[in-house]
Amino acid sequence: MSSNGSGKLLAISDLSISYTSEQGKVHALQDVSLDIGENQFVAVVGESGCGKSTLALAIIGLISMPPAMVESGRIEYRSVDLLALKENDRRKFRGTEIAMIFQEPLTSLNPVYKVGDQIAEAIMVREQGHGRGEGVGEIGVMQRTYDSKSVSAPPRLHLPRIAPRDRTSAVLDALKRVRIADPEQVIDRYPFELSGGMRQRVMIAMALSQKPALLLADEPTTALDVTTQAQVLKLMKTLMTEVNTSILLITHDLAVASQVADRIIVMYAGDVVEDSDVYGLFSEPLHPYTVGLLSCIPSGSKKERKLKPIPGSVFDLTKTTGACKFASRCSRAMAICRQKKPALIEARKGHRVACLLYGG
Amino acid sequence: MEDNQRDDVILETRRLGKQYPIRRGFNPLARNQPRFLQALNDVSMKIPRGKTVAVLGESGCGKTTLARAITLLSPPTSGEIIFDGQNLTKGKVNTKDLYRRMQMVFQDPDSALDPRFKVKDLVSEPCRRLLDASKEEVNEMVMRSLEIVGLADYSERLPGHLSGGQKQRVAIARAIAIRPEMILLDEPTSALDASVQAQILNLLIELQNDYNLSYLIITHNISVAEYLSDMLVVMYAGNVVEYGPTGPIIARPRHPYTIALISSAPIPNPWKRNLLNTEIMGEVPSAVHPPSGCKFHPRCPYADKICGEQTPGMVEIAPGHFLSCHFADKTA
Amino acid sequence: MESEITGEGKPAEDSTPSPPPRHERLRTILHALRSNKGALAGAIIVSMFFVTALAVFIAGLLHTRITPYSPIQQDVGPALAAPSWAHLMGTDELGRDVFSRVVAATPNDMAVSLTVIAFSLIVGAFLGTYAAFHGGLVDEALMRMTDIFFAIPGLVLAMAIGIALGPGITNMAIALMVIWWPPYARLARGEALKIAHQNYIEAARLSGAGRFRILLEHALPNISQTLLVYASMDTGTVILIYAGLSYLGLAVRPPFPDWGQMVSAYQDYMVSVPWLPLFPGIVIALGVIGFSLLGDGLKDALGGS
Repeated sequence: MSSNGSGKLLAISDLSISYTSEQGKVHALQDVSLDIGENQFVAVVGESGCGKSTLALAIIGLISMPPAMVESGRIEYRSVDLLALKENDRRKFRGTEIAMIFQEPLTSLNPVYKVGDQIAEAIMVREQGHGRGEGVGEIGVMQRTYDSKSVSAPPRLHLPRIAPRDRTSAVLDALKRVRIADPEQVIDRYPFELSGGMRQRVMIAMALSQKPALLLADEPTTALDVTTQAQVLKLMKTLMTEVNTSILLITHDLAVASQVADRIIVMYAGDVVEDSDVYGLFSEPLHPYTVGLLSCIPSGSKKERKLKPIPGSVFDLTKTTGACKFASRCSRAMAICRQKKPALIEARKGHRVACLLYGG
Repeated sequence: MEDNQRDDVILETRRLGKQYPIRRGFNPLARNQPRFLQALNDVSMKIPRGKTVAVLGESGCGKTTLARAITLLSPPTSGEIIFDGQNLTKGKVNTKDLYRRMQMVFQDPDSALDPRFKVKDLVSEPCRRLLDASKEEVNEMVMRSLEIVGLADYSERLPGHLSGGQKQRVAIARAIAIRPEMILLDEPTSALDASVQAQILNLLIELQNDYNLSYLIITHNISVAEYLSDMLVVMYAGNVVEYGPTGPIIARPRHPYTIALISSAPIPNPWKRNLLNTEIMGEVPSAVHPPSGCKFHPRCPYADKICGEQTPGMVEIAPGHFLSCHFADKTA
Repeated sequence: MESEITGEGKPAEDSTPSPPPRHERLRTILHALRSNKGALAGAIIVSMFFVTALAVFIAGLLHTRITPYSPIQQDVGPALAAPSWAHLMGTDELGRDVFSRVVAATPNDMAVSLTVIAFSLIVGAFLGTYAAFHGGLVDEALMRMTDIFFAIPGLVLAMAIGIALGPGITNMAIALMVIWWPPYARLARGEALKIAHQNYIEAARLSGAGRFRILLEHALPNISQTLLVYASMDTGTVILIYAGLSYLGLAVRPPFPDWGQMVSAYQDYMVSVPWLPLFPGIVIALGVIGFSLLGDGLKDALGGS
């Protein structure tokens, strides 16, 4: 699946990322290829360890290298290979063209600054143009965690000279856009004073204030209540059209993905195993792993259906193999599956799968 | 509330309440602040023997407080708990006797196991302390328990070398080792992957069938609640809002909160995008300053004047199906 | 026996780490000592001190000595002699061999520091943990009591107690024990608070464990690491403070040797015979440094993991 400069928003080709750990070299991503178009809602679904978070962090460039390293591949954003850029150039995209929100908003927001100030700063980055220099783009949306153990002194906010009146109205607009009632109140609050749902909305407000073309969301609703999750997901979908963004949602929950995504990409142990539009995936799930995932989801009552967990254990990422990684757990494995590695091929229209059952 | 038949009820709570005093210090400005936080209010339910009751609710609804109250880890401040005929809230309760028959599996598998204890010592602790068994007998119980959950080879391991699912299985092994009659499970699968969750759910069902266990499962996951339970207790901000057999409630929820909750639950079906059609506004209220009357009224699409003035009582709208709402007819 | 759980003989696992090596914690410590030069140096110094102390003590029990000369015998050489092969640290004004005196005094400091630290650890750990778990008035009482101790300078208090009890090494040890435990209690309390609401503590209650047993079996082992790391660094401080008391003449009386006391006795000769007060002083400093390095190394090794 090669990329072409044909106006795709994001084209990832043959991306392989590994990192060194105590147990050896962990192959987090192997030859991952996928595309995201304009105004698309794509969900990357997989269980823990499948590499979905690594993928998102690689796109936005927040993986520390070392201990990680890119073995091969390209991440092309509007035909620009982000991996080939120097950090200074890559920063111009981060937060402005590509934004990210994380699972636990409490650690993504700086606890010692008011919410309004943090949003204001996010807005400033865009207004001031890209690559403003050290520190500014890093605070707010980009900085992943304010780990209370590692913060010694809060970083100074570089709020450039813009009339406070204008700044405030921009912030209020941002909050209104994420449907926060009483934005005037929320501006003066500190993150810990807000509920989980509110904080996540603030995160979204900050992320979208810069009108990015691509929003990455790493398990944004996992820590939220069900009703709040519904609100946030609905908000994201609405904003997608309002702000003309594409969304890449990382989740372990196939049900959530089915409710909001246009396309679903299933990952297993660092590989893309299935990539399809959502209706195609659910009307005919092709890869046995996807089938397995679906049969794990409880629905109806215990009397109607027995859940069928996937036997075996997750493929050990410190190992490489020339065969299919899922073969040992696959109920439909053939002899050839233990010898040949399946390639991602288009088995149905708009529906790619990496499984020897369908060729490849 | 009449019993039409002689149900064998293993646990009953009657108007259970839990209040926490709020420390205000000596600040004179705090004089008008509330003095109490009502975490549980008027919670009544019955768990039939051998069946599963799921307590469904979101954060702040009091479900964990309920579990801790029933197990007397944090005893209730009002109301009664009747466990197999014995009133736990009156007089002195022999907790050892109680825990021989009632056990609990906690929410976070990481914090539920003492990181310095080996698996076999973790599982054997209830056996050693609650039973008068010899060392050999305890060993046997432990090994049998570990076999049932499929961790027979892991008896010498430390929790740090177990995965999340394995830790939860150890916790379950510990709970069943002494053959209790009832187990409370607080979010038993929330921290786990889909496949592991499926394993654990299957295990729980198998154990219930084999040993006639009664379960009280606390969860915010509607699919899990629907799958496992025979009866459902929906809680909101410390109160029970709807209570009855699972199937009918899921199929036709009557309380506006239950309706919102169930329609927010993501189902793996792209043709039924209920999630995007849900319209629930607002947030869970503060437990310190709860709304007057019905706690859900600020967010309720059917709310009227009476809802802010009077808390609705529990009304039996169908056999065994109870609802706490002034406008039961609006959602009928 | 096929389990219904997964439909296969073996249940499904999620990604499991491989079985751990044996004696993991010991290995971590040894590894840390090997890689951290400071910690290694500290470990060597501390071991030397202990071995020496033990040797001197056992020799004393057997009515012999391991030092080249008797520490109290006068005129084994010319008075105030410079260090030489015969007298590694020279001689003092009464012709006693300084090296023998320094070595012979080792068990004093070691014994005192060990006793004080052990006492503080045990008392502090129990009190602090109990207060953390109990909460309420007991907790408040402990906090205020330790506050009082913190408000008064430790050394002054120790001196006061020492003078009240009368001089002597045992009395000094007692005085130090009295003032030494509060930080341990506070530390233990802080650590215990962290784990007090862990589910495994509640699980222990559900297993029928009584409060004391929970404290002993579940709480103390899980807070021990922090306390032990603190203790290893703190031992050096005891040595220093004890030396200070000894300097003031409150501990061992002449002619018996004691480092602090020796510094005090020899300081008059500072100008003309500088090595005389320096040697015992250096040894004190070495003891403190050794324990500090060791404690620091342990902190890095265990604190990181």
